[in-house]
Amino acid sequence: MKKRLKVSIPSLRERERYIAFEIISEGEIRYEELEKSIWNTMLTFLGEHGLSKTSIWILKKLYNEKNKVGVIKCNHKALIQVLSCLGLISRIGEVRVVFKILKISGTIKGLNIK
Amino acid sequence: MAFYDFHVHSAFSEGESSLEELASMAKKLGYKGICFTAYPLSKTEESFLKNEIERVKKEFGIEIFLGFEARNLKELRALAKRRREFDVLLVRGGDLRLNRAACETPEVDILTHPEFQRQDSGLDYVGIKFASKNKVAIEINFREVLFSSGKNRSLIIKNMAENVRIAKKYKAPIIICSGGISHWELRDPRCLISFGCMLGLELKEAKDAISKVPEEIIKLIKERRSENWIMPGVKVVR
Repeated sequence: MKKRLKVSIPSLRERERYIAFEIISEGEIRYEELEKSIWNTMLTFLGEHGLSKTSIWILKKLYNEKNKVGVIKCNHKALIQVLSCLGLISRIGEVRVVFKILKISGTIKGLNIK
Repeated sequence: MAFYDFHVHSAFSEGESSLEELASMAKKLGYKGICFTAYPLSKTEESFLKNEIERVKKEFGIEIFLGFEARNLKELRALAKRRREFDVLLVRGGDLRLNRAACETPEVDILTHPEFQRQDSGLDYVGIKFASKNKVAIEINFREVLFSSGKNRSLIIKNMAENVRIAKKYKAPIIICSGGISHWELRDPRCLISFGCMLGLELKEAKDAISKVPEEIIKLIKERRSENWIMPGVKVVR
């Protein structure tokens, strides 16, 4: 029995957007805190139903705690909602933050982040 | 595309951050210019602020404008009389009479948060018609949404969307500002554009609200600085 689902054909696949962001803050931001903050803000602002439509995912492997640069994946229709929610995050834990959007692309390769 | 934030409070008004901190953050976020908003000051404080703005402008290399925000009718009349001495005239919305007076005054550039601390949107279609005629931009203040929650936030968003809907119908200018009182309250232009889209603006309209509308105001500022300018709509043609 197969362990993974069969990859869907391109016409059925959801179109994705990858948002590269940089966090401007005074202190360090751990991935766990960042993830919690983004999910909670989106859940409050969009609700469970609204959040389900965004297909949001924060890419753990691409988050650099040193530079505070990370990538969020969402579907192309929910880009507006996700960007608005990032603007609504003013604190992560006790640290005041501002999100700077570096680039938005359809592929991770297109983001050109190192 | 050049982005501008025309409603930022510094330590000279009710803000917490210095001019340097605000200018530095605005530059990091990719703004081409910002407007430091203050409440009417004494002559000495005003000239000191103007000198500070000139210094910060040279240091950070971004456009900085000086704006005064009128909090009542008396301040509005006084500021309108000496319109040539500063760049941007804003009116703090919230009061129905003041909202209407701001829309009817051609000297005013921006009516800030007309729905401030109100149950309704603060503007009717007649007021917005005047705003369209006098080119008074209706502000969407992001800070109001940022620091509210639950029922209050949803009411604010509903009122903002109502203003946007009527302003679009009568082609009144809409401007999106962070309204921050600290440099931590400035927001990325793309976040503000997205928020504008959520309120019912088309993508182009939302982009214009942060770039073209401020540019129009800057054009008026430059016109006003010229010797030929007398009052809105009147200038010497040689």
